[in-house]
Amino acid sequence: MDGRAPSERNTKAFWQRIRDLLPGLIIPVLILAAWYFYVDGSFLPSPSAVFYILLHPAEDILSCGSLLWNIGVSLVRVLLGLFIAIVVGTPFGFMMGANTGFRKFTSVVTELARPLSPIALLPLSIIVFKDTSFTEVLGLNSLKYTRHVLNELQIGMIFILAWGGVFPIILETMHGVRGVRKVYVEAARVLGASRTFIFRHVLLPASLPDIFTGYRMAVGRCWMVIIAAEMLPGTNSGIGYLLRYSYQLSRLDIMIACILIIAVIGFVFSRGLEYAGDRWLLLRARER
Amino acid sequence: MISFSFLGIEKSYSDPSGKKLRVLGPVDLTVESGQFLCLLGPTGCGKTTLLRILSRLESADSGKIAMGSGNLGYVFQQGALFPWMTVESNVMFPLKAKGVKPGLCRSRAGEMLRKVGLYEFRRSFPHELSGGMQQRTALARGLVTEPDILLLDEPFASLDTRTGINLQEMLRKLCRSLSTTVVFVTHNIEEAVYMADRIVVMGHRPGRIVRDEILSLEWPRDRLSSDFTGVLLSFRQTFEELVDQ
Repeated sequence: MDGRAPSERNTKAFWQRIRDLLPGLIIPVLILAAWYFYVDGSFLPSPSAVFYILLHPAEDILSCGSLLWNIGVSLVRVLLGLFIAIVVGTPFGFMMGANTGFRKFTSVVTELARPLSPIALLPLSIIVFKDTSFTEVLGLNSLKYTRHVLNELQIGMIFILAWGGVFPIILETMHGVRGVRKVYVEAARVLGASRTFIFRHVLLPASLPDIFTGYRMAVGRCWMVIIAAEMLPGTNSGIGYLLRYSYQLSRLDIMIACILIIAVIGFVFSRGLEYAGDRWLLLRARER
Repeated sequence: MISFSFLGIEKSYSDPSGKKLRVLGPVDLTVESGQFLCLLGPTGCGKTTLLRILSRLESADSGKIAMGSGNLGYVFQQGALFPWMTVESNVMFPLKAKGVKPGLCRSRAGEMLRKVGLYEFRRSFPHELSGGMQQRTALARGLVTEPDILLLDEPFASLDTRTGINLQEMLRKLCRSLSTTVVFVTHNIEEAVYMADRIVVMGHRPGRIVRDEILSLEWPRDRLSSDFTGVLLSFRQTFEELVDQ
C-alpha cells in the first residue's frame, strides 16, 4: 500500500489503463490509413463519408430515425434480454450446481437447448409472439403510433435474446458453485454456520467470479444475436436493421458506419465489464 | 470433568471396487476438560477421520460420542481461510454465523486478533500474508467463540520450523488462558511432546489407539533437557515399531 489518497491512485490507474491500450490501437490506425489512401470512392465509400455519418448521430437517416435512436433501441433490447437471462439463469445455475438431483433432472434439456442458435428460433418466436411489443403487454395503447422505445421491444426478439444469454449464465454459475472448494464449506459448517448462512457468505461470494464470467459471455452473445436478429424480418428499427436497409439502398457509407459502431459497442461491453469486475466484484476470490 | 468421550467408534469406507475398508476402530477415548491432547500417528491412521467424526463432518458407523456442549473450534491443515474476506471478516465469521451482534463481533474479533498479534493486519486479505500469519488468523478464527473444544488438524505442518515453534507456544498459551480442551492432530513427534498434556498414539489398518500417556514433563519445556529427549525417544521408538509392522 502506498501512502497516497485513493482518488489520486485511481486517476493514476486510469491513465495506466489508457497507456496499456495504446499499442493495441496501432493496427486499427494502420487500417484506417490504408483505407484513406488506397480506396477510391467508387468501390468503397471514403472514410470522410463514413465519418460524416458518425459525427452527425442525431440526424435522421433514411427515414429510419437517427443513428442514436437506432443504437438506443438495440441497446435497450439487449439490456432487457440480458436482465431476463440473469434473473432466470443465475438461480437456475445455482440450483444445478448445488443440487445433484436437480442437475440430473435438467442437464439433458439444457445440453440440448444450449447449442441451439437463438437465430434458429427467430421464425418460431415470430409465429408464437407475432409482433407483440411491450406497449401492448403493458396496455399503453396511447403510445402505439408514436416513436417510443417500448414499441420497438418485440416480445419475440427479447425472448431470443434471453435465450442466447441464459445458457452461458447457467453453465458458468453451475461450474462456479460446483468448483467452490469443499474445505470452505466444511470450515463454515464446523464453525457453526447454517445452510442459508453458508449460501450467502460462502457459496455465493466464492462463485461470484464465475457467475460474472457468465454475465460477460452473455453480453457478448446477446450483442451478436441482436444484430443478426435485426437484419431478419420482425423489426424495422435497431442498428442491425439500419445496416441491412442501407445495404439494400446501396448506401455503403451508412453500412460501414454501422459496422464500426457495432464493433466499438461490443468492445466497450467486454472491456467495461472486465474493468468493473476487477474493481467491484472481488475477483480476488480466485485462489492465488 | 469430562469434555468428551468416544465409545467403540468405528468407520469404514468402500473402495472403488465396492469392498469395505475399515479405517477406524473400535476406538475408546475419554478426554478431560481443559486437557491438551495430541493425537500422534503415521499418515492414514484415521487421526483426521476421528476429528471429522467429533466435529460431525462425518458420522461414525457405530459407537457413541458423548459431548458436553457442541461449541467447537476447528483449524484446518491449510488454514482454509476464506480468500475473499479480510483477516477481520474471517475471524468474525463464526461469531456472525452464531448470530452475535455486528458491533460485538468486531470488538471480539479485534481482541482475538490482538492476542495473536495480527491487529495491524486486520484489513489485509489472506493471500497478502505469510504462511505463519495465515495460520495465526486461522487460530484466531477457531478460538474467537471461546469454544469448549478446539480441534486442529496438522495446522503447522506446512510451516518452517522456527515459525512452527512460535505458533506452538502461542497456541499453548492461548488455550491455557481460555481453558480450552484441545485435540491436536500431528505426525510430528517433537511438536506433540512439546505441547501436550497427554499423547495418544494411533496405529493404522485399522486406526486404533496403541499408546496413551499423560506426560509428566514440567512447563515451560526445554527441548534440550534430558527428560524431554528421553520422552521424545520413547515415542519415536513406538512410532518406528508402528511403521515396521
